[in-house]
Amino acid sequence: MSRRILIVDDEDDIREVAQMSLEMVAGWEVIPARNGEEGVRLAAEHRPDAILLDVMMPGMDGPATAQRLREDPGTAGIPVILLTAKVQPADRRRFEGLQVAGVLAKPFDPMELANQVSSTLGWPG
Amino acid sequence: MSPPARPARVLVAGFPDTVASFLARQLRGASVEAAPDAAAARALLAGGGWSLLLLDSAIAGGGAAGVLAGLSDPPPVFLCTPHGGSGEGALLHGITRTFTYPLDRQALVREAAALLGLSGPAPPVDGESSEVAGAGQNDALAEAVRQAWERFRGPVTARVDAIEQAAIAVLEGRLTDEARRHAEREAHKLTGSVGTFGFAQGSRLAREVETLLQGTAPLGQAEALRLTDAAVALRRELARPPHPTTPRPRSPASEAHSAPRSLPLLLVVDDDVELAERIAMEASGRGMRARVARGLADARVAVADEAPAAVLLDLSFERGGERGLELLAELAAHDPPVPVVVLTGSGAFADRVEVARMGGLGFLQKPISPSTAVDAVEGVLQRGRQGRASVLAVDDDPLILEAVRTLLGPAGVEVHVLGDPLRFWDTLEEACPDAVLLDIDMPRVGGIELCRVMRNDTRWSATPVIFLTARTEAETVQRVFAAGADDYVAKPFVGPELVTRVTNRLERVQLHRALADSDPLTGVANRRRSDELMGQLLHLAVRNKKPFSLALLDLDHFKRINDRHGHGMGDEVLRRVARLLERGFRAEDVVARWGGEEFVVGMYGMDKDDAVQRLSEVLEQLRAEPFTLPAAEPLRVTFSAGIAQFPVDGGDLPALYRVADATLYQAKEAGRDRVLPAGWTAERPDPAQQVDVVVVEDDPALARLLLHALETRGYTSRWIADGREAAEALTGSRPPLRARLVLLDVDLPGMDGHAVLRRLARDRVLERTRVIVLTVRAHEAEVVQALEEGAFDHVSKPFSVPILLQRIRRAMVI
Repeated sequence: MSRRILIVDDEDDIREVAQMSLEMVAGWEVIPARNGEEGVRLAAEHRPDAILLDVMMPGMDGPATAQRLREDPGTAGIPVILLTAKVQPADRRRFEGLQVAGVLAKPFDPMELANQVSSTLGWPG
Repeated sequence: MSPPARPARVLVAGFPDTVASFLARQLRGASVEAAPDAAAARALLAGGGWSLLLLDSAIAGGGAAGVLAGLSDPPPVFLCTPHGGSGEGALLHGITRTFTYPLDRQALVREAAALLGLSGPAPPVDGESSEVAGAGQNDALAEAVRQAWERFRGPVTARVDAIEQAAIAVLEGRLTDEARRHAEREAHKLTGSVGTFGFAQGSRLAREVETLLQGTAPLGQAEALRLTDAAVALRRELARPPHPTTPRPRSPASEAHSAPRSLPLLLVVDDDVELAERIAMEASGRGMRARVARGLADARVAVADEAPAAVLLDLSFERGGERGLELLAELAAHDPPVPVVVLTGSGAFADRVEVARMGGLGFLQKPISPSTAVDAVEGVLQRGRQGRASVLAVDDDPLILEAVRTLLGPAGVEVHVLGDPLRFWDTLEEACPDAVLLDIDMPRVGGIELCRVMRNDTRWSATPVIFLTARTEAETVQRVFAAGADDYVAKPFVGPELVTRVTNRLERVQLHRALADSDPLTGVANRRRSDELMGQLLHLAVRNKKPFSLALLDLDHFKRINDRHGHGMGDEVLRRVARLLERGFRAEDVVARWGGEEFVVGMYGMDKDDAVQRLSEVLEQLRAEPFTLPAAEPLRVTFSAGIAQFPVDGGDLPALYRVADATLYQAKEAGRDRVLPAGWTAERPDPAQQVDVVVVEDDPALARLLLHALETRGYTSRWIADGREAAEALTGSRPPLRARLVLLDVDLPGMDGHAVLRRLARDRVLERTRVIVLTVRAHEAEVVQALEEGAFDHVSKPFSVPILLQRIRRAMVI
């Protein structure tokens, strides 16, 4: 079935490549969001099947956004995958409390991103 | 479903080109055209025959209403509006569907395809599973990623600046915590992004930088050097093409001529039909129409027929360039003036000034690739478009916004206004203003917060921000500047003050744009520009099978100059070096500053020995002109340099940079203050010592001068003051010293020069060693005698060091 993915990343280049990658490789519908606030709003509006969330963003960062998504019953059930270039011990502890579905490393390979998302979420691939 | 007999025509109005090209890719079987503003959209719509209009509600030049008002027989309209927009969409009639930003592109494509009766979005994916796509799809993705990189290369590479600045600041002992965090963030972003575009090594380098900058432990010289190295390596890495991708698909040439009139027309004037056609094809692939004229007469007819948006004029065709220059002058005098980019064959550098004088806006040297030529044309067209400066004013008070618009409009400034600060980010990105006016007190988000966010984003960190504030007490003013503001204007403002402050900032922005190609401190080319120019010279060298030499040079002990004499002195030194380099090299050589105290020189048609000579002359001049300081010893400045030559030391720019850099490092190691060619090896202790030059001279001052001049050019040398000693060192069955060249004074203690020369001849040393005799005066008999005795050349004292060195080089080369 067709999937709908919300990508939240403040960097235009990465957001765009991730979008192209998921659209072209997996044929998923992708909704881009440029910051945490927009991500939270679009998640509530579109109820995506999964959310890819950049950790380091100005304003509301990835963990804070994940927290907000958890607090809203409408979006609490949507699996969240964090995207990060840096996984430090302190960050890891923060991530643990967020109950995210997984953490994917940046930089990602555009050819592989859809597969990585599928396998993280246990979707048939 | 079979495609309709006539292709559906879609007009995309008010969007960036990327949206149009995205739709063109996705809507197979439809022809997609773009209109940048309302006037262009109306002109196109007037022609009729459209199947769909995709319209941005805030299209420049009147908004959506301006496009649709009074339109007879409009096509279906998809209107795209911002969230919580003013409701303009609802007020307009004839809107088929409204989309909100950020655009859900997939939905847009789906609905457009349904409306147009197309088979659906491409690539065709059934969406039933997330199977790995076939090879074709991977190619398409690789191509899309590559294209995305073309667009993002600039802003992404700009992040390296922050790292370089941090490294320089460390060296100069002035790295603030803020600058360090900024550089760390930029490195982090690079880590996370460039690998995705095919620069795995780039991500690794960026991670190294990030790790170095993390924490608060003080950074020293060693860290600064690692940062600089990593930054340099990152730049090189990002300048390479990303890992192999599929070739770019070509659009057929015929499109060039059938495209609608609203697209900018490029006239290519060139008798090289093949090149002209290839350029035309490239231009049409990038949203231009192109027309080819084979001669000046053709060109005049074409211009009279329809004034082109730009002309690419080859001056190297026909005899002489005079008649081409006439056309250039005519085009500059055209109303409105037609921008011209000039192409010339190699060796026509003298035309450069003439072309600029006649109003040419660009100058390109053949051979040139069609894409480089079209890049230059796009640059010129862009400059024209950017003529009108724009500001974004954000204030929750509509009266203030109206006042801003009223005041700045007549001053020639395009004003975007925004009443809701929560929509700031979207509006900022859409409007791309040259300056931002912010109200300080707004509900929910204040101007200071918006300003801080802007300053944290490299795209906006340099955009001028001016605060509009009713409060001007010191504490507020301080907060405003601390947030990164450039200026403030007190409310209620009086007309002239606002206009003056805003236009002042805008003028500076435009000045910076003009300077985008040059290093602001020294006026020589900056790094970005030098990379382009070097690429051209190297290309020329490949094509004409000529050498090309690249020199990297770095001032010695520059930090010490800054520390002891202040940055003003440091700047003065950099400017002097730049001036000497510009004077010491030909107009066609590239002289650039790479930031910090590093310069680079590219020399076409010059081998590295010549290059060493030229650069050493510059070094000598620099050394000879000490900087006078008030109440202190004059300051002597030197530099070290490494030179690599194409093709012997490297086949492309990155390889040449690498070799030149390693050689520069050798020069530093060998004691600085010298210019070395790649492949230079330090003198090794050896039983039979081999040196380049033995100086046999009893005047210690002169000997030292000569040794220094030789060493700084990478020659190994040895000084012997006594004639007999020299003869013994150089002769015998196993001479302790072997030399390629001997500089031999005539008047010597122990044994005079003639006697030494005869010994060298007798022992057959002259078969492997050449001798230049230094005579006291050009005494003909003495000269003849020396030459008869086997000297290769003679130089009479007093001599100038450069002349002697020239003779030395000749003696060593021939």
